[in-house]
Amino acid sequence: MLILGIETSCDETSAALVADGTKILSSAIATQLDLLKKYGGVVPEVAARRHTELIGYVIKEALDKAGRTLDDIEAVAVTSRQGLISCLMVGVAAAKSISYAKNVPLIGLHHIEGHIFANILSHPEMPFPHVCLTVSGGHNMLVHVQEKCRYELLGTTLDDAAGEAFDKIAKFLGLGFPGGPVIDKLSKPGNPEAFSFPRPMIKNKSFDFSFSGLKTAVINMFKDKIARGEKLPLPDIAASFQEAVVDTLVAKTLRAVEMKDLKVVSVTGGVSANSRLRQVFTETCKRKGIKVFFPDLSLCTDNAAMIAAAGYARMMLGERSDLRLNVFPNAPLGG
Amino acid sequence: MIVLGIDTSGYVNAVGLADGTRVLADVAFPAKTDSLEQIVDNIDSVLKSAGLSLEDIQGIGVGLGPGSWTGIKVGVTVGKMLAFSADKPVAGIPTLEALAYAARKKSLFIYAVINSGVGDTVYAARYHTSKNGVSQEGEYFTGSIKDLVPLINEPVLLVGGDIKRYRDIILKENPLIRNKVKALEALPSGAAVACLAAVRLARGMKDNPLSLTPLYLKESTAEVFINKYKVK
Ligand SMILES: [Zn+2]
Repeated sequence: MLILGIETSCDETSAALVADGTKILSSAIATQLDLLKKYGGVVPEVAARRHTELIGYVIKEALDKAGRTLDDIEAVAVTSRQGLISCLMVGVAAAKSISYAKNVPLIGLHHIEGHIFANILSHPEMPFPHVCLTVSGGHNMLVHVQEKCRYELLGTTLDDAAGEAFDKIAKFLGLGFPGGPVIDKLSKPGNPEAFSFPRPMIKNKSFDFSFSGLKTAVINMFKDKIARGEKLPLPDIAASFQEAVVDTLVAKTLRAVEMKDLKVVSVTGGVSANSRLRQVFTETCKRKGIKVFFPDLSLCTDNAAMIAAAGYARMMLGERSDLRLNVFPNAPLGG
Repeated sequence: MIVLGIDTSGYVNAVGLADGTRVLADVAFPAKTDSLEQIVDNIDSVLKSAGLSLEDIQGIGVGLGPGSWTGIKVGVTVGKMLAFSADKPVAGIPTLEALAYAARKKSLFIYAVINSGVGDTVYAARYHTSKNGVSQEGEYFTGSIKDLVPLINEPVLLVGGDIKRYRDIILKENPLIRNKVKALEALPSGAAVACLAAVRLARGMKDNPLSLTPLYLKESTAEVFINKYKVK
């Protein structure tokens, strides 16, 4: 079954063709990095206008890259839940138009389910059940993935997502946007133990996250040093901050895996591209005899291939959306 | 040439059908925040009522706005993706032009007026009736309805939503033009969009569906901020 996936929930306009939920025939992603740099972050109305301009071209590119036409498409899968409302609307408007004109089924999906499937798409052999950490600029969740499309939410962020903390610290340190890759790079020569930053809620029994306190601690320390005229070793600050985030994410995830008595961890979302996060997860899991999986780097950030893969799984369960499909910016992941 | 016209810029899902400039159907479905939810269903029901399907039409007209930013993003995306998917020629029609078309009168100049959603700021444009419908004179206007007053120096017909209130504001500014200003209440019309698109498409003036974008006539708040403060 050939599925066209569409994803416009935040700042990437994306379309992809995926066969049988496993084989990516093409993926087209137009990033709005120029706008992000100009505005220092995502501005919903500006992003939505850009989606409207790009959506047709991106879908055409996905078709052309795969050497297919819309006549070959057997279903359309689209992100309809969680994200920026005006951005989600553009993808859903496009998806239902194609579904109607081509008389093929339509399915609306939750954005986080897409991220969960990014890793399933990268590793078809990944066993169920497993614990999935989804972490990006917009979300930060621990999910018990019982089987395909059956989830139990274990924890989520109470304030900033980890990726958001990366962005805000990078912005504060004048490193640019997006923050994840620049801090990752800057941290390489730095000493992660140079500064001791808090590991927020690491001891806390819940599986919720909170990164706003860590962000404030880094900013206060920085201002303090400036006020005292001390030298500022940026790589050390970046590495120490990154280490605090990584420690927290790894500790909480592993505690969830142990609580569920499982041996498999899936780490997904934009921050799962972070090299230090991958390294610490890999080392810690190896010591504990736990298998850890990361998506291909191309599937870490928002993309439509993961939406098509999730759509295929849902359609195999007999699910469909009708042409009245609407968007729900704050919908829970559901099960 | 049977053309489907849609316009979701004005808190209605306006869907119409025209055969050339002959109106076959013109329905305005109420739509507040559910324009996305309803629009494809609305199109389907208008087509079905006319005994047609998407394959039977020869072109699509899309109201580009201005109006509700959300509404026009939905309508333009649906219009262009229907055109792309069904391989039909498409023509984008400014909603102000469609309003003027629906009110065309030979003797009067027409000011089509659309509420911007902020205070008494409106989008407007001036038209005169021409052979194939209406022709725009001058640029689009975005500003206070009061700033239109000095521009009214001959009899005009104001057309748009909430238009009596706008006429009252104009006459309060200048009571001397009382008998020069008529007002006609009108919502965006799918049929008007379809007729104007049919005329354009018959002359070979089709738009590239992939590049079709809304006519906002106003920068988003963030763009205003950036341009005002030159944030880098
Ligand atoms: Zn995401």
